[in-house]
Amino acid sequence: MNAIEIRNLSKHFGAKQALAGLDMTVPQGAIYGFIGENGSGKSTTEKIICGLLLPSGGSVKLFGKDYTDGDVRAKIGVLIEQPGCFPNYSVWNNLLLQAANLGIQNAEEEVRKVLKIVRMEGSASNKFKNCSLGMKQRIGIAMALLGDPALLVLDEPINGLDADGMRIMREVLVDITRNQGRTVLISSHILSELEKIATHYGIIRGGKMIREMTAEELDADCPVFIALRAENMELAETLLRRRFLRVEKDEERGLLRVYDRVPPEDAARYLYELGVTVSEIFTQKISLEEYYTSLMHGEVRA
Amino acid sequence: MTNAMTFEHQTFGKRLKTMCKVDFRRMFTQPLVYIMLGISLVMPALILIMTTMTGEGAGESAEMFTNVWQAVSSLSGAGGGMSLTSMCNMNLIYFLAAVLVCVFVADDFRSGYAKNLFTVRAGRADYAFSKSLVGFVCGVGMLVCYFVGAMIGGAIAGLPFAMEGFGVGNLVACLLAKVFLMAVFTSIFLVMSVIAKQRLWLSIVLSLAAGMLLFTMIPMMTPLDATVLHPVLCLAGGALFGAGLGAVSTVILRKTSVV
Repeated sequence: MNAIEIRNLSKHFGAKQALAGLDMTVPQGAIYGFIGENGSGKSTTEKIICGLLLPSGGSVKLFGKDYTDGDVRAKIGVLIEQPGCFPNYSVWNNLLLQAANLGIQNAEEEVRKVLKIVRMEGSASNKFKNCSLGMKQRIGIAMALLGDPALLVLDEPINGLDADGMRIMREVLVDITRNQGRTVLISSHILSELEKIATHYGIIRGGKMIREMTAEELDADCPVFIALRAENMELAETLLRRRFLRVEKDEERGLLRVYDRVPPEDAARYLYELGVTVSEIFTQKISLEEYYTSLMHGEVRA
Repeated sequence: MTNAMTFEHQTFGKRLKTMCKVDFRRMFTQPLVYIMLGISLVMPALILIMTTMTGEGAGESAEMFTNVWQAVSSLSGAGGGMSLTSMCNMNLIYFLAAVLVCVFVADDFRSGYAKNLFTVRAGRADYAFSKSLVGFVCGVGMLVCYFVGAMIGGAIAGLPFAMEGFGVGNLVACLLAKVFLMAVFTSIFLVMSVIAKQRLWLSIVLSLAAGMLLFTMIPMMTPLDATVLHPVLCLAGGALFGAGLGAVSTVILRKTSVV
């Protein structure tokens, strides 16, 4: 069964079309990385899934039921934009309030549990308004985890987190999907982080899904290349271009990339024989970020 | 990973119970409600003391309260025109209640709490019912505080407590009518609040405007010499308006986006 199944979803804000016939399938138990540029319709889609925005057309099903079904909706945890907390309440009281909303019987125990998951036990008495951005994001996750949700919808949850916070978030998300069977829909612009955890991807542009794939499919789609650094980079580039079909310059890292399927030692030997010494050579796959950029620029077919 | 999920069915009663629990806890843990209750207590005392003092000093030009009960309501024969004694009475509490309800509801939307709430709650009726109930209870609390304040203020100002033209039974009927009328007002304020959502200024303006429209009707509905009919009519009105406007609030919440 799919956790989320969206068909032909559309949404207009006056004359502006935010979603134009979006189709989306999120399998149960997946960490679904939802990627797109600003204004592409990610947040709008998530808000519709959570029942915060009304769609103009199309259908949204959660675990096979209509998204308006109250019983299903009680099992959604959400963090959209910022956590919905009262600034003058303590972290503890904000979480208790949400636990009460969900009708959780042993609310205090449950709150303690989610605070422990996001490693915030020591900050429970802090007023929400005094928390740092990273702490607020973690509180938002804790709030979303209350009530044992079957589906988590997280909009930019790693924004503002430091390296440690990102690691904790990663561990939490992987744990709740792999070990607890929950489904996570997560949108983020930090693709390098998303790449570490996502099992499925959906790439949206202009309110339409342009690509949906599993992590394995992405892996197969992402070509392996040889990256090398030579003493004379200009000469090395000229020589490589003579021999190989696709050679690119990685200006950022000061490397040359060869996308032809050849062993790295062959490329190194070829340059050496022509008098160019290679100081560094390795193989690598293109990252999600590069794949996404290529897709957006039309270099990869959608 | 493809196993079918089962979901616990949440009855309306259960959802309503949790919603009310949360709203009452929220309302009574915020300072605003105590400030409003304090104002309701102090306001009549100040009005009675100040106007009595002004009356003594300024002579005949200033209208003054001649009886404590004028601070509660006016007699049906008084007409309820635009005089000081007919305006500066318990009916002012309905305006204070407007501020309280509007701030309470706008806080839900401003803080983002409404996002958490409406994500896990597809139904909106429990929200409207609970907010109306909390507003009503606080409004009644403010009416009680006003009544107590008026008694204290009247005693301090040395105003007579003599009941002229009405009896204790009429007074009780008048107070009950005011209590039941609070249900009508809180329902109106709730509608305005859910229309305005996070725009507090708009909800207050709309609520005060609606309150002003009905203001001249309050003395007629709740005179000092009220009979049994007055609270009965106000109760029926309160129930009808409460249910009707509650349904309107529910529809507005259902048919409009939360964010």
